[in-house]
Amino acid sequence: MSQEKEKKKEEKEEDVEELKEVLSVVSKEVPSLIKSIIASVFSEEAGRDMGKAAAAFYKELKEAGMPEETAVKMTENYISVFTSLGDILKRAGKEKVVVTTGKGEDIGEEISRKIKEKLAEKREEEEEEEDED
Amino acid sequence: MKIGSVFTIALHLTRLSLILFVFWLTFGWNVRKARKAFEKQLILQGMAKKDAKRLSANYVKLKNEIMSTLKSSFLRRI
Repeated sequence: MSQEKEKKKEEKEEDVEELKEVLSVVSKEVPSLIKSIIASVFSEEAGRDMGKAAAAFYKELKEAGMPEETAVKMTENYISVFTSLGDILKRAGKEKVVVTTGKGEDIGEEISRKIKEKLAEKREEEEEEEDED
Repeated sequence: MKIGSVFTIALHLTRLSLILFVFWLTFGWNVRKARKAFEKQLILQGMAKKDAKRLSANYVKLKNEIMSTLKSSFLRRI
């Protein structure tokens, strides 16, 4: 009975350790990932580049003799390709995307397995060091 | 050791929440700057200000879509 309790306690401690490791990675990597994705679309430079592209498109249409209204409409359609990024995100949010490794395994399971292995190695090293002391 | 781990977890969660909050605050400002730069380029090529504003409204639309997607995905996980 006491062995079972010990085992459960150890499992809980392992879970806490695992969560600690995962959160330390997530709190470092996720913000920088979001920042870089957003900065690539929503920055002054990105806006200027997009504006230049749309303006060049509009100018070409005007120079080719397209009526003002049609040129604006076509430029609007050209820009709407860019906003379809929002639709892609929406779809990605609704559907469950399973990313697999080269061997066809779910990448989430693969990461979890790797973390567990690393933690076990770390614990063994710590135990060996304690034994040496 | 367990208390230490819980403390570290709380610290990481606080850090993550703070960063996301700052990101949320600066996001609107970045969109505004991008929108203004976009409008300026169109106006420079001779487009009417009204039309340039209408086209740049796509930025706000995209921002709203991204925010609603993020919100709904967070809420679904909670």
